[in-house]
Amino acid sequence: MASEAPKHVPPPGDFCHWSFRLTRLANGAAAGSVPRVNTTIEGKVYPEATFEVGAEHVAAFASIVGQTVPGIPPTFLTLPEFDVFGPIMDDPELALDFPRVVHSDQEYVWHRPLTLGETLTVGSRIASIRERGGHGFLTIEVSLTAQDGGPVATTFATLLERAAG
Amino acid sequence: MRFMDVQVGDELPSLARLVTREDVDAYAEVSGDHNPLHRDDEVARRAGYPGIIAHGMFTLGLLGSCVVAWTEDPAALLRMKAAFRAPVFMGETIVAGGRVRALDAESRTATIEGWVQLDRDGLTEYPVKKGEVWVRLE
Repeated sequence: MASEAPKHVPPPGDFCHWSFRLTRLANGAAAGSVPRVNTTIEGKVYPEATFEVGAEHVAAFASIVGQTVPGIPPTFLTLPEFDVFGPIMDDPELALDFPRVVHSDQEYVWHRPLTLGETLTVGSRIASIRERGGHGFLTIEVSLTAQDGGPVATTFATLLERAAG
Repeated sequence: MRFMDVQVGDELPSLARLVTREDVDAYAEVSGDHNPLHRDDEVARRAGYPGIIAHGMFTLGLLGSCVVAWTEDPAALLRMKAAFRAPVFMGETIVAGGRVRALDAESRTATIEGWVQLDRDGLTEYPVKKGEVWVRLE
């Protein structure tokens, strides 16, 4: 489709690890009949939430992921991260077709260790949204901040909305 | 683990886990992720799977635990990234592993390549692939 001029094509490193070959605009025939991801909302910021790092919650999570060393499991960050996904997934501007969405990549950056009992402010934004070959690629950035405003952690979840049909 | 005791190429002890429906239910409860792909066999079958699949983050959590068992300190982790590339079905055994790829003496940081693998029909699948974990050691 001529109207689908590529814009902001990410550097090759971004998605070069996809296990299947992505041919840009390969599925042009689907245009018009199948909604595509809305690339105009890149950078959109969602309302902040709060999350308490509760001892019982941490203990339950540590048990499930099989951590035997004392302390907060690193991937516990997933919980405050997931908490703010709801409003994003339900965002009519984003209009994801959920049955076609898979979680493809995940990244965590710890600026300091989490502390038991602390309350975190959880901010989220659409860090990037792209379309390639009919597939949509969405990266949600979640920022965890302490009550004193200091950064605690940042997470990046990349979701793939598969091309329809 | 102390930085002085680590060398490039060192393997982390692997961590194996039989994945059961109880595990996946427990993960759904604690995480609040009630996506029916992880809870409802019928929904999962319509998506082309033999039944429910484990949460990717449950699987990645095992890699986290593998690394933490090696560092002996969860606060050692600075950064972690990974790609999800295969589903995990109930009754399968996943194995998390890793290897030290690089060391930086100045920052006392080790870079670990990590993965979670399983055997299915004689083939090795990688539910977690291209894992990279940066840790700072004492």
